Amino acid sequence: MKEDNFEFFWINSDGEKKLATENLVIGNQVYNEKLITKKGTEYRLWDPFRSKLAAAIMNGLEIFPFKDKSSILYLGVSTGTTVSHISDIVGPSGIIFGVEHASRVARDFLDRVASHRANIIPILQDARKPKEYFSVFGKVDVVYVDIAQPDQTNIAIENCKMYLKKDGYFFLVIKTRSIDVTKSPKRIVEEEIQRMEVHFEILQVIDLHPYDKDHAMVIAKFLK
Amino acid sequence: MYSVILTEFGIVVFKDEKLEKAFPFKDAVRDYISVKKKESKLNELVNYLGPLQRGISVSDESLMTLLKKNSIDAQMMEELELEEIQSTKPQIIVDSGFAKNISEALSKLREFAMGLSSSKVTEVSESPDLHIIQAINSLDEIDKIANGLSSRLREWYGLHFPELDNIIDSINGYSQIVLAGKRESLTKKVYEEAGFPDSKADMIALLASKSRGGDISDINLAIVQSIAKQILNFHDLRKKLEAHVELEMETVAPNLSAILGAAVGARILGKAGSLKKLASMPASTIQIIGAEKALFRSLKTGAQPPKHGLLFQHAMVHAAPRWQRGKIARAIAAKAVIAARVDVYGEGINKMLLEKLNIRVNEISKKYETPTERETRKPELFREHTGESRRREGGDFRRREGSDSRREGGESRRREGGDFRRREGSDSRREGGESRRREGGESRRREGGESRRREGGESRRREGGDFRRREGSDSRREGGESRRENKNYRERTDSKSNKNKKRSKFERR
Ligand SMILES: C[S@@+](CC[C@H](N)C(=O)[O-])C[C@H]1O[C@@H](n2cnc3c(N)ncnc32)[C@H](O)[C@@H]1O
Repeated sequence: MKEDNFEFFWINSDGEKKLATENLVIGNQVYNEKLITKKGTEYRLWDPFRSKLAAAIMNGLEIFPFKDKSSILYLGVSTGTTVSHISDIVGPSGIIFGVEHASRVARDFLDRVASHRANIIPILQDARKPKEYFSVFGKVDVVYVDIAQPDQTNIAIENCKMYLKKDGYFFLVIKTRSIDVTKSPKRIVEEEIQRMEVHFEILQVIDLHPYDKDHAMVIAKFLK
Repeated sequence: MYSVILTEFGIVVFKDEKLEKAFPFKDAVRDYISVKKKESKLNELVNYLGPLQRGISVSDESLMTLLKKNSIDAQMMEELELEEIQSTKPQIIVDSGFAKNISEALSKLREFAMGLSSSKVTEVSESPDLHIIQAINSLDEIDKIANGLSSRLREWYGLHFPELDNIIDSINGYSQIVLAGKRESLTKKVYEEAGFPDSKADMIALLASKSRGGDISDINLAIVQSIAKQILNFHDLRKKLEAHVELEMETVAPNLSAILGAAVGARILGKAGSLKKLASMPASTIQIIGAEKALFRSLKTGAQPPKHGLLFQHAMVHAAPRWQRGKIARAIAAKAVIAARVDVYGEGINKMLLEKLNIRVNEISKKYETPTERETRKPELFREHTGESRRREGGDFRRREGSDSRREGGESRRREGGDFRRREGSDSRREGGESRRREGGESRRREGGESRRREGGESRRREGGDFRRREGSDSRREGGESRRENKNYRERTDSKSNKNKKRSKFERR
């Protein structure tokens, strides 16, 4: 991936180039990540061990549709680590609809991330019922799915049908270590991709090793 | 054609793309939720729509139900119309007069989403089943703490009066005696007040008079006594918690409570996360809840899958002979799901459930009176890798459990069998309880830990957890191992038991 883009940055820290985003909320830390100010701009280091999207970037993500003013539907925000960086990237005119159904993590997400960032609309709902989402409007540029559910492909399809723009991008996190230990990680990914192929054009599959031992990321376009 | 649209800030009626009338909410979040829950009255809207009567289409199913309840003939909008509304929502909000311009509409929408999400979080934390889960977990934590403290107490006070340890099993009784002071100042009255019968009191008095323990300084005694006091306090708290869990279970989940018993029911609830989640689980999952580790092991190695997890604590399961337990656990699990469902809908107690379960369990015990073939063959399998088991055959299981674990986890283990936990049930239940905590607890912690770690270790909850985890993990690991050893041992004796009357009697204990 090219290094000169405006979405994320490579910042020198401890003698290494590290991934970072420009902090949308000055002084605000989300998960104890390091804040670094360079030439009057504050950056937040983006930890690939904590965020699978960052891990994907480290491992050669080729398409990065998260841009200034983008709109994103993000399923499974959990406490909002990754979402906070996407929030930095899409900026004040972008918007992220963040869906999460577990109220325990959602509380942290609201307190630490959503309440500080005006471009996030938190939606406490089950991703299986996209019709029930409130306050979502228009279609989004990207649907990002990290919900760790066995039927996640179906859930994703339903959500894309309702909310993804034509030719929009789709990111799916796949767990490569399943309950069925007889399956190899490779097979699991292949099977999941097979299930997706009817509806998506697969663009890239990224193993998140060594940042995340058990997950892969699939990037696709939605075909309907 | 009238279009009735539910927005975040009120209900609006459009006629041919033009606003006819808006009914703003007073409190957006509250009123919106009340429409969604189909609890709103909507008097004004109903009065307005009443005379129109025909050609009314609605954007929301809950809203439609409400209108129909008020005998207004309404129908759902077409998909295309709904999509249109969805994509132009900010504009609709402006057109309805709920915002001056698009940007105000956007910020109001976000404010609404924050408000609605917060109120959902709040609502969930108020739900009684979550409080039950906290209570039962507190109870289990207290057991752990009290058992640990009590073994410390026995050791420390034991320097002064070593003979007391062996005669008094109950943590409570022991603590009460310690509270009374030094050996010399123990009177028969003290023993009586601690609830010991005459004969025992005499014996303690005798032992006290010829004790080989050393003297204890006043300062040391004072500390030992305050430990004893704490243990007694914990004991009170535990009793309160137990009663509380029972009462709450009976109110919140009466059927589940009837099928599983309050304590086991509450623990299963804790594993499921909430009553609702439990109600939507397959019975096969409930059957082995708490035995996740064994399940994974079986998937990995092809070993037999677990027959029960937490359900082992259920009186019907642990009282049954080994070969029936899996079947009984399954029967209980099947009824437990139904019970949880009935409880979710709050339909009160359904006596049939328990009756049916009793009938089923009776059937099982008749039909499988003798061990199945596979079970009787089993000893052969085990003999291959025993060697150790020979030594273990004689003697009493419990003591061995004690000694094993003492080797691993320090003397405290034996005391865990003391008063606190036993009150809850038999020894075997205790065993189930421990393995539950080990297996389920660990796996849950691992899962939770993983995601939480990824999410950012900043969470207050995690910090709290860290301390405990750091402290506890070693002993848990050790304990876990020793327990696993015991379990193998147990299986071996179990299989022997099928041949051996004496054993099987012991097992059924
Ligand atoms: C692995 S975590 C996501 C981590 C997050 N994406 C990040 O990188 O920071 C998965 C989350 O999906 C949520 N989830 C699972 N099933 C869901 C569903 N049906 N609807 C909404 N959220 C769901 C879980 O509660 C959990 O918080």
